[in-house]
Amino acid sequence: MTLDHILTLLLVIPAAGLVPLFVFRADPRAVKQVAIVTTFVELLLSLQMLAQFKVGVADFQLVERADWLPSLGIRYYLGVDGISVLLVPMTTLLTFVSVLYSAGGVIKDRITAFMASFLILEIGMVGVFITLDLFLFYVMFELMLVPMYLIIGIWGGSRRIYSTLKFVIFTLAGSLLMLVGIVAVWLQSGPEGSRTLSLPELLEIRNRFSAEFQFWVFLAFGLAFAIKLPMFPFHTWLPDAHVEAPTAGSIILAGVLLKAGGYGFLRFALPLFPTGTQLWLPLIIVLSVIAILYGAAVSTVQKDLKKLVAYSSVAHMGFVTLGIFVLNTQGAVGAVLQMLNHGFVTGALFLFVGIQYERTHRRVIADLGGLANHWPLYTTFFGIFVLASLGLPGLNGFVGEFLVILGTFQFGGVPLGGLFWGPLAAIGVILAAIYLLWMFSRVMYGPARDHYKGLPDLSPVEVACAVPLLALTVLLGVFPQPAIAIIEPSLDRMLKLATDPTFLVALR
Amino acid sequence: MTDLGSALSPIAPELIVAITACVLLVADPLLSRTASRTWLPALTVIGLVAALASQVVLPRTGLFFSGFVNVDAFTNFFRAVFIVLALFGTVVAPAYLFRKRVPAGEYYATVLFSTLGAMTIALATDLITLFVGLELMTIPVYVLAGIQRRDRFANEAALKYFLLGAFSSGLLVYGFAWLFGITGSTRFDEIARSLQTTGLANGPTIIALALITVGLGFKAAVVPFHQWTPDAYEGAPTPATAFMSVAPKAAAFAAILRVLVSGMGPLAVDWSSVFAVLAAVTMTAGNIVALVQTNTKRMLAYSSIAHTGYILAAVAATSAGAAAGAAVLFYVFAYGLMNLGAFACLLYIDLEGTRGATLDELNGFARREPFGALAFAIFLISLTGIPPTVGFVAKFLVIQPVLDAGYAWLAVVLALNAVLAAFYYLRVVVHMFMYDEESGAPLLVSSRLLSFSLGLSALAVLVFGIVPNSLYQWALNAASPILP
Repeated sequence: MTLDHILTLLLVIPAAGLVPLFVFRADPRAVKQVAIVTTFVELLLSLQMLAQFKVGVADFQLVERADWLPSLGIRYYLGVDGISVLLVPMTTLLTFVSVLYSAGGVIKDRITAFMASFLILEIGMVGVFITLDLFLFYVMFELMLVPMYLIIGIWGGSRRIYSTLKFVIFTLAGSLLMLVGIVAVWLQSGPEGSRTLSLPELLEIRNRFSAEFQFWVFLAFGLAFAIKLPMFPFHTWLPDAHVEAPTAGSIILAGVLLKAGGYGFLRFALPLFPTGTQLWLPLIIVLSVIAILYGAAVSTVQKDLKKLVAYSSVAHMGFVTLGIFVLNTQGAVGAVLQMLNHGFVTGALFLFVGIQYERTHRRVIADLGGLANHWPLYTTFFGIFVLASLGLPGLNGFVGEFLVILGTFQFGGVPLGGLFWGPLAAIGVILAAIYLLWMFSRVMYGPARDHYKGLPDLSPVEVACAVPLLALTVLLGVFPQPAIAIIEPSLDRMLKLATDPTFLVALR
Repeated sequence: MTDLGSALSPIAPELIVAITACVLLVADPLLSRTASRTWLPALTVIGLVAALASQVVLPRTGLFFSGFVNVDAFTNFFRAVFIVLALFGTVVAPAYLFRKRVPAGEYYATVLFSTLGAMTIALATDLITLFVGLELMTIPVYVLAGIQRRDRFANEAALKYFLLGAFSSGLLVYGFAWLFGITGSTRFDEIARSLQTTGLANGPTIIALALITVGLGFKAAVVPFHQWTPDAYEGAPTPATAFMSVAPKAAAFAAILRVLVSGMGPLAVDWSSVFAVLAAVTMTAGNIVALVQTNTKRMLAYSSIAHTGYILAAVAATSAGAAAGAAVLFYVFAYGLMNLGAFACLLYIDLEGTRGATLDELNGFARREPFGALAFAIFLISLTGIPPTVGFVAKFLVIQPVLDAGYAWLAVVLALNAVLAAFYYLRVVVHMFMYDEESGAPLLVSSRLLSFSLGLSALAVLVFGIVPNSLYQWALNAASPILP
């Protein structure tokens, strides 16, 4: 069975879910059911999209095109390729898990607004990965902002207001500068009347972008993505937002929203501005390695469990930017895999931290301990995700980080070369093992504590949330080849575009 | 009779508005207080809708009245904008006016006279008609500011507004006189032709340009000529503030486009960089001051100054051609819709005098009045410029000519300003949605008409944000007589 307009359907389903949500807004039970069904249908649809995707084709597939603002040459333009096609099911799965977990009783207040926020958020998240028009991409990029702002601000912890405003202001500062960049690209794309923001067409005419232009526009785009990702030193909003967000918000924030930054670099910044990439590349490589080491070092000293996981995200995202900017296949494939893996694993870690907090109401590591004695099932799941996060071979975290480090070793660019940066990044992996295992031992092992005695182990709903994430963690760890086969052709094409010497306008 | 009919038909919308205003004044003393609550706004709405319809039914364009009236796409665009804003300003008002014992007949008639003045600006072909229109637009607004006669703050607001407004009108008309002295004509096209040959060669032209910039800058609330705005907005009854914050500003920009862009267009090279600086100063000052306000009415007043700056940026970019004009028109329309809506959302909260709600008084608003809070949030998000709202498209359209005209720095300033603005707009959302109601919170008064009109305009903000093409085409078309 093949469905036409499947990408449009992916955007329509969550929007359509808002209607019954509004109709049954007074009945919390019905609201939960509607949200679960909608996100589940969306998940199935994204799997169907994956099935319709032809592996081995580098170009965009399932393309849909229609005029949107014809007088400005702006289009409704959708399509997926190897880089994005796996990120969509990841998004829909994590959304489904978040909604399912939240419907299990964690969210009691204003459930309709909560679920509506998630559905709107899902439109934005899926949209970011499937749009090929910069204007539409920007709309989707910003559409993620307001629901997440509400999710943190209404259902978050005690310092939620400060955190959510910080999150929004940081993100908005980046993305509004990107908007200026987008308009600049649009003005450069041709004479009046034939301007465009469609990626495939921009790639055809990108030799019109002078070196100086690329320098500035790459900065505008790069800032937006660097803040979203977040790259060191723009990461300061992340720990606050994560700590205060409700569990489902943290899962989505870490699992999907951060990926929009990495994806933006790969999809737009690199192929459109190859010279800009070359000019900014040394700085980004250095910042990535700093992020890996700094994120790991700061994680080690965290007292708060959720903050530890948040800072570990900074380190993991450092691997993503490092892999992208070494500009070779291994690095880039590793980066995309790392995005996927981080989505599943860190999403799961936040889920488990949330489950634990729901029961104990404690997040400070020193207050916890001995939980393994009461919760065998929880310990098993949590342990596997922790091991995946620290990059144990056989689980998915290893594959991405290994490929990124491999790519870094082959990197011959300025400054100092890959043989300097590769080992430094590898140290990050060791540090990850230290802080994660140390955390795990302090939280789970040790003497059993009496006041945790009566607390129940995982509920069936929580197991249902964790099992798909666990399955993917193991599957992508043992057998990553199918995923690599999907990603690689498109990445090769993208890298060719980003490093094609004939397009590299003479560096000033 | 048919001759008279065809002679008057080009200005049918203006005539209908004028007649309706007069009918209101007659009807007001004849109706009881409760009857006037329903019938006066109904009459106003009927008049405005008829005016809008007459523009559609009798679409005549060209020069009329010996060339004193120019009906073109630009005129029609602004007519429609003014009528829509007056309609919106009318339908949100009745409950508030009744509650506060504001004289309803005077309120609606004043709004209509002001609208009539604004429409006159849009069809002016020379300085005199334009000035008459400008005064007909502003004088009723002075009245609106002080219509709550027994309120001290309203009196202060009206007096301040009147004195500064009269002063600025004086400067403006003085500038017009200089311009007439230089070019020998009051007609825009002849002024343009004359300036084309002389350029900015001499001192008198600079004086004329400076005086006109200051005069029109006052009307549009450009920093540093904005001091009247916050007090006037705060002292006026809230529905009047909602109307005052949008219609006179739209009219001021219509005047700026007619006089500066069309009449003094040949000097654009000279004044555009001044306007770019004014735009940057205006948006930054407006936003920074808005940032520290705790009263929402005052905050929105300052934020409206910031929006003047955004529109002014597009005016400064006239060398980018039609796109700049279209950006101004689109922004004016979008701003009217969202800013009027935002002010009108304050009408839910019953407070003494003309005071607006403080941020703390908005705590828990989302629980108490979910629908109003949602509409308010949509307007605020649109004012911030976040998609998928019309405010975002407007910002996009403004950035584009600004970059095209070579003011990259201004585009960056604009983007950073939008971030500043996000901070205080979203703080209102924080208070409405994320704090719980405190004891002693003010009463809420809900009216079905208010909710309906706010819902409709919030929907419009979203719809024009998602499918802006037809509106943009219209704006582009309307800008073509000014900036081909």
